[in-house]
Amino acid sequence: MTPEMDDQGCPRCKTTKYRNPSLKLMVNVCGHTLCESCVDMLFVRGSGNCVQCDTPLRKSNFRVQLFEDPAVDKEVEIRKKVLKIYNKRDFDFSNLREYNDYLERVEEIVYNLTNNLEVEGTKQIMEAYQRENRDIIQKNKAKLTREQEELEELLLLEQQGNEQRRLETLQEEQRQLQAKRKSKQALLDELERSHVPATILLAQHKDRAAQLETQIEKQKQVVKTTIFSTGIPMGQTVSLLTVNRLEEVLYHYQPIHMHTYGPPVPELEQLGRLGYLNHVRTAQPQDMAGGYNSGLACHRAIQDAFSGLFHPLG
Amino acid sequence: MKLNIEGLLVYFPYDYIYPEQYSYMLELKRTLDAKGHGVLEMPSGTGKTISLLSLIVAYQREYPLEVTKLIYCSRTVPEIEKVVEELRKLMEFYSKETGEKNNILALALSSRKNLCVHPEVSSLRFGKEVDGKCHSLTASYIRAQRHSNPSLPSCRFYEEFDAMGKQVPLPAGVYNLDDLKDFGRRKGWCPYYLARYSILHANIIVYSYHYLLDPKIADLVSKELSKKSVVVFDEAHNIDNVCIDSMSVNITRRTLDRSQANVETLQNTILKIKETDAAKLKEEYRRLVEGLKEANVARETDIYMSNPVLPDEILQEAVPGSIRTAEHFVGFMKRFLEYLKARLRIHHVVQESAPQFLKDIFEKVCIDRKPLRFCAERLRSLLRTLEIADIADFSAITLISNFATLVSTYSKGFTIIIEPFEDRTPTIANPVLHFSCMDPSIAIKPVFERFQSVIITSGTLSPLDIYPRILDFRPVTVASFTMTLARTCLCPLVVGRGNDQVAMTSKFETREDFAVIRNYGNLLLEMSAIVPDGIVAFFTSYTYMENIVASWYEQGILENVQRNKLIFIETPDAAETSMALEKYQEACENGRGAILLSVARGKVSEGIDFVHHFGRAVIMFGVPYVYTQSRILKARLEYLRDQFQIRENDFLTFDAMRHAAQCVGRAIRGKTDYGLMIFADKRYARADKRGKLPRWIQEHLTDGSLNLTIDETVQLSKHFLRQMAQPFRQEDQLGLSLLTLEQLQSEDMLQKIAQIAHQA
Repeated sequence: MTPEMDDQGCPRCKTTKYRNPSLKLMVNVCGHTLCESCVDMLFVRGSGNCVQCDTPLRKSNFRVQLFEDPAVDKEVEIRKKVLKIYNKRDFDFSNLREYNDYLERVEEIVYNLTNNLEVEGTKQIMEAYQRENRDIIQKNKAKLTREQEELEELLLLEQQGNEQRRLETLQEEQRQLQAKRKSKQALLDELERSHVPATILLAQHKDRAAQLETQIEKQKQVVKTTIFSTGIPMGQTVSLLTVNRLEEVLYHYQPIHMHTYGPPVPELEQLGRLGYLNHVRTAQPQDMAGGYNSGLACHRAIQDAFSGLFHPLG
Repeated sequence: MKLNIEGLLVYFPYDYIYPEQYSYMLELKRTLDAKGHGVLEMPSGTGKTISLLSLIVAYQREYPLEVTKLIYCSRTVPEIEKVVEELRKLMEFYSKETGEKNNILALALSSRKNLCVHPEVSSLRFGKEVDGKCHSLTASYIRAQRHSNPSLPSCRFYEEFDAMGKQVPLPAGVYNLDDLKDFGRRKGWCPYYLARYSILHANIIVYSYHYLLDPKIADLVSKELSKKSVVVFDEAHNIDNVCIDSMSVNITRRTLDRSQANVETLQNTILKIKETDAAKLKEEYRRLVEGLKEANVARETDIYMSNPVLPDEILQEAVPGSIRTAEHFVGFMKRFLEYLKARLRIHHVVQESAPQFLKDIFEKVCIDRKPLRFCAERLRSLLRTLEIADIADFSAITLISNFATLVSTYSKGFTIIIEPFEDRTPTIANPVLHFSCMDPSIAIKPVFERFQSVIITSGTLSPLDIYPRILDFRPVTVASFTMTLARTCLCPLVVGRGNDQVAMTSKFETREDFAVIRNYGNLLLEMSAIVPDGIVAFFTSYTYMENIVASWYEQGILENVQRNKLIFIETPDAAETSMALEKYQEACENGRGAILLSVARGKVSEGIDFVHHFGRAVIMFGVPYVYTQSRILKARLEYLRDQFQIRENDFLTFDAMRHAAQCVGRAIRGKTDYGLMIFADKRYARADKRGKLPRWIQEHLTDGSLNLTIDETVQLSKHFLRQMAQPFRQEDQLGLSLLTLEQLQSEDMLQKIAQIAHQA
């Protein structure tokens, strides 16, 4: 234990960590501390009142104090309880603003309960909420938030990576060991059988050993590819969550309004009525097949003719 | 002289030029033309700075639309001043040659401590105090309060600057820190804010690395610099460590206790303000609900603590509801602190990744990732709302909130190591939480992405290919330049054995070996007898030096050495060391001769030059490997292996060799200088070590100078020193290593120059 913990002690029997290194401090729902032996003594019957604030307590609710400030222990306890009920996730809300408001309400409840402000009222609110949202609470029990999911994924990847690396190094070592043993055995065999002088054999062996070394060196240096040919790094987290639907404004067509600097051009439908079409070659059946009709060409020609007639000079 | 560098007219303020400077400028110009990044290595003392400056200034004048700004980053204040002086020389040359007035604005920027002219504030000793005091006088809400209560103290320099200084830009010219202060005093304007304001339209800025690399500072100072800037990192051989340090956080029990006090102050202030001025908290709350960013245009004085790099999409988002109100946020911080305290209460070392940490914190105290991410932002907003004037007190909680934001933002490249005690004192509990960055590219990435050209340069960058790898960028030019010499003025020798043939090495196994220590002592003794004036000796660590010096004392070696020269020792204490240095120089000056025993990676090995007689020989005892048992280092090596495919040994050797090169490079600071470089370890003779030395040293390291005994070393040294002691005049250099314009333009010289640059 750090020296800072040493001066912490039981408020009842005044034992400190310094005097009794095995002292175990416990804390209950009210956030007040007692040491383990005091708890055993005072709560023989399983329940009793807190020495400091007189709250009725159960012995089974005593927990080992994790933090220096027992209030934090208490808060965490309460928070866990509250979060069990208030377990809505960000995708249960239509926008971020609402989710943030919700988060703040939760925080308010925890704050009130921890600091003993309007405890009754807050509890009622909680109960009401629990009744109203029973389904969602049930549904969300098993679900994690998106961030937690990502975290889990990252952790999994990390674990896999570590395992793989460990195996690789193990294999590599094994392989090298075997190769060395083999070459040594080969040397012994040769010395036994061959008629070549031993010095030459030894020299050869040395040469081979050196070669093996360099080979191993080279293998070590072989660069592992870390990127797929698509440019995506290997082992990148591919999130499997649905992509948020983008709400966009639909495109509206607006007809182009041209300024022609000329007299108004007759509409396409009017051409026949006004007799313009009489002076144009009528469309042949072959032309019609392609979607052509004489009105189109005529209309364009008239547009050309009319535009710019009144254009101010200079 | 006026040079023609591939069609670019460059004014060079000296009558002579070194060939390698010309070559360096060529490469530099190509880098700028390609609008890419470059890695350039050129030995110190060959005029890197002036080559860089004259080429980039010429480029700026020729293509004002292509390159608008030069950002020159250096390490220390003296180095910054040196650069500004060179620049001044260049500008004077320009106005003399062209006859017109220069309209280039160049200025140096440093911290408030170096620039403040306020009589009370500037007399404070520590930078943090100056910042805090300045802030308490100039923060926007303090100034707003002054409207209602004029009796509050103010800084008249800042007020003047705010009222007048912004309308008229700083007149063109070259300003170093003192010039800025003078100008500020004359006008009655605050030099610090004037400089910070002026960098926006200055053509050349000279400042420290941190203004670009440390995300906490870069965000406020260098945010609005344009893309079309050229960034130069000078003396950049340690740039990866600077990057890593700027992103790492160390939390001790003391930090936590102080944060606890901070939180309590916050809580009390909130209570007080609730009674007196509840509207203010409401206003803040409303703003956070709306997710509005604060308009910080007019509030330059407030932003003292910026966010560690957060992705933009998060910055746009509103602060999560769970920490929106002030009380909830304070409760949140309390829980976080208690959690950290509980984590520090351990008996064995824990190492975990950021996701593991986040999972654990959720299970233990129900803290989600998202509010953690907004922690720094939220704290900043709260501090401003509460109008806390002296922010120096809140450094602890600021650190904690930065840690929270970093740990929840980055899932890769960081590791968390909690150590219950220091390695050296396993019985004393001193828990530390190291949140250590392992990937230098995280901090430097924004720089490479934002600016058109980034030049990394130093005297020792070998092996050149490793920097692009660990900093994760693609350079367009990678080149190493050697020193052209009229005479071989450096003499690297690798001493591998003593006269008794016992191998000399600082290897861990033989470290305590009596024979090795004795041989090292003999080497020093012999050298002290033959080398004139100063000798600098480097050890691998303080503890190693202590051990060796103690046994030298017992063996009587020190006594013998002292007959020849005085001995000075570097200690971890800065004041003591500067005292030792001063006396060392005095002893060299008056001819008595001295030996300085110092440590690689210490203060002496970085940034202190031993020109001429201050360093005639450098002895490197052992290979300066880092302390390899450190867990942070181990984690980093692992990361380098997995992510960048750099093997542990390669990196360790690279790191050791760059420090060794830095150490021995201290002695040679120019072409007229000369010095011995003695590598006293047999491992230096191996190809993998030797190959990692800079090319300008390697060139002179022949087979004949490897694995020598002490006697051989003495012979070679005597010969070298006698040769070097002959008078050496400038005329001897001319035409070989020093060129006039005519010589430079001759055909065969240009050919030779083309060979100087060694592309990696």
